[in-house]
Amino acid sequence: MQEERTDGEVMVGILGSRVRVEEKLLYDALDERGATFKRFDSRKVAFELDNSSTAGAPTGDGLECLQTCDAVLVRCLSHSRAYYLTRWLEGAGISAVSPHQSIATCGDKALTSAALREAGVPIPNTRIAFTQDAALKAIEEMGYPVVLKPLFGSWGRLLARINDRHAAEAILEHKKTLGDYTHGVFYIQQYVEKPGRDIRSFVVGDETIAAIYRSSPHWITNTARGGGATNCPVTPEIDRLSRAAAEAVGGGVVAVDLLEDSDGSLLVSEVNHTPEFRNSIDTTGVDIPRRIIDYVLEVAMNGKSGR
Amino acid sequence: MGVLCSRVRMEEKRIFQALQERGVPFQRIDVRNLTFELGSNGLSGSSTCASHALCDVVLIRCLSHTRALYAARMLDERGVRTVNVHRAIASCGDKVLTSMALIEHGVPTPYTAVAFSQATALATMETMGYPVVVKPPVGSWGRLMAKLNDREAAEAVLEHKRALHQDDPYYVQQYVEKPGRDIRTLVVGDETVYAVYRHSSHWITNTARGGETSICPITPQINNISQAAARAVDGEIVAVDLLETREGRLLVNEINHTPEFHGAVKATELDVPGRIVDYVVQAASEQVRKREGR
Repeated sequence: MQEERTDGEVMVGILGSRVRVEEKLLYDALDERGATFKRFDSRKVAFELDNSSTAGAPTGDGLECLQTCDAVLVRCLSHSRAYYLTRWLEGAGISAVSPHQSIATCGDKALTSAALREAGVPIPNTRIAFTQDAALKAIEEMGYPVVLKPLFGSWGRLLARINDRHAAEAILEHKKTLGDYTHGVFYIQQYVEKPGRDIRSFVVGDETIAAIYRSSPHWITNTARGGGATNCPVTPEIDRLSRAAAEAVGGGVVAVDLLEDSDGSLLVSEVNHTPEFRNSIDTTGVDIPRRIIDYVLEVAMNGKSGR
Repeated sequence: MGVLCSRVRMEEKRIFQALQERGVPFQRIDVRNLTFELGSNGLSGSSTCASHALCDVVLIRCLSHTRALYAARMLDERGVRTVNVHRAIASCGDKVLTSMALIEHGVPTPYTAVAFSQATALATMETMGYPVVVKPPVGSWGRLMAKLNDREAAEAVLEHKRALHQDDPYYVQQYVEKPGRDIRTLVVGDETVYAVYRHSSHWITNTARGGETSICPITPQINNISQAAARAVDGEIVAVDLLETREGRLLVNEINHTPEFHGAVKATELDVPGRIVDYVVQAASEQVRKREGR
């Protein structure tokens, strides 16, 4: 219910742009909890960073209210919007879900790998190179097949599985020509022979609430690209790695992508800071939006009492 | 005679030299200084530019295909004879148009398809069978050419091309297993001036990418196919790239309208710039005769 709060109630903000199925489900969950919340459209935000205004309040429709929120759930599709808005929220002392550090880390695959590695979370053999020559050398040393991924990006876009040198040369040249400097950073990962599926787990706070198998005859298993979802029991190992991965990147509400290696061990390939979950609710029987909202309300309570 | 160019490479220096040696009055015209006013005979730019109106013939030596294409078209419109002619530049500069011209004239060329979406390009490749080569329709020096050996490579490259807006259209060619080399010939008028092998352990044999050059004897077969290819695109001074199939047949791969020839000059020790200049001077005299005969 979008309304004025009464004393003692927390105020939750939801910051996004396009309203997808996920966001509708989150609004419903907020209503079910009788929570007071306000929606903010990132397309209408302009925030001030000069010294003249002490708070640097965002301007735009009702955005002054953003400062009165005890917690803000960030559901921006655009990584850069989520990245900068959470940075502003951090400066304003407002708790964001997920927090800025998590968004900054998850949004960049190189930073994700570094954070996971430092936390001792197993990841596929990964190398980063800055020139075509160095990348080709790294690929040849690692051995084929490898996967080249853009540092930023989701839904499996521009992922390239490379099985031989000809493909490597062609893709490296095309990436270089793409121009954007982020394509000039080559993120190379050993291809993990998966059993036709990978695992996506959902971590909310410090709990692994659900997991699915994403199955596909194609090596890219994203459900956005047609992968099918089935329930995956959260084993102690999946739980342990998922929570470790979430903590490593900075926590909040994240989805952890796990690969089953041929020897049965699990590797964390990616962590996502604004997960889509529409296909995972019925599949897992877990009310994911409600769990997310419960967590956001808890963060808001802590935020309110902390002020 | 005018020489239209932008950056002066080794080739252009040698052409200027040949012109001086022959005492041919010529004007170097920098395309970067030219502005053509459409719908009138107006020209603007530096004073030297205007002098191209005094030229009987202009040799087009622009690095940029688009500059060559439009400059030749506008000179043509103003009654200035260009070498190559606009039509030839248009056909050679776009691989789709080259292939069509070759096929229409019955000149053997690799099996080629043109597709307009990622899905149809992928379907075409799967039907054609790997390996295939995907090339940008407009481009040179072997840039962004991709040899695709399997479906994963095809999917990845097509997606990257789309991200690059290099997707209009997809030019897909069956890969021809070459004996570690291809053949480049230079046609000037109705003569095949030279043929060289370009050797490379890499499938891309362009000398710009490090291929080695050596003399190739001009067999009747090489001569015939080179002449036929040049005629198919109305090319007067063109380089023809030939591929040798396993069965010993020759296929025309590409035709270049502003050939680089320093590698070949080294290998063949031929006076290539002299031959080019002689041809253009002859074209100029024909132009003068034509004008005075009017």
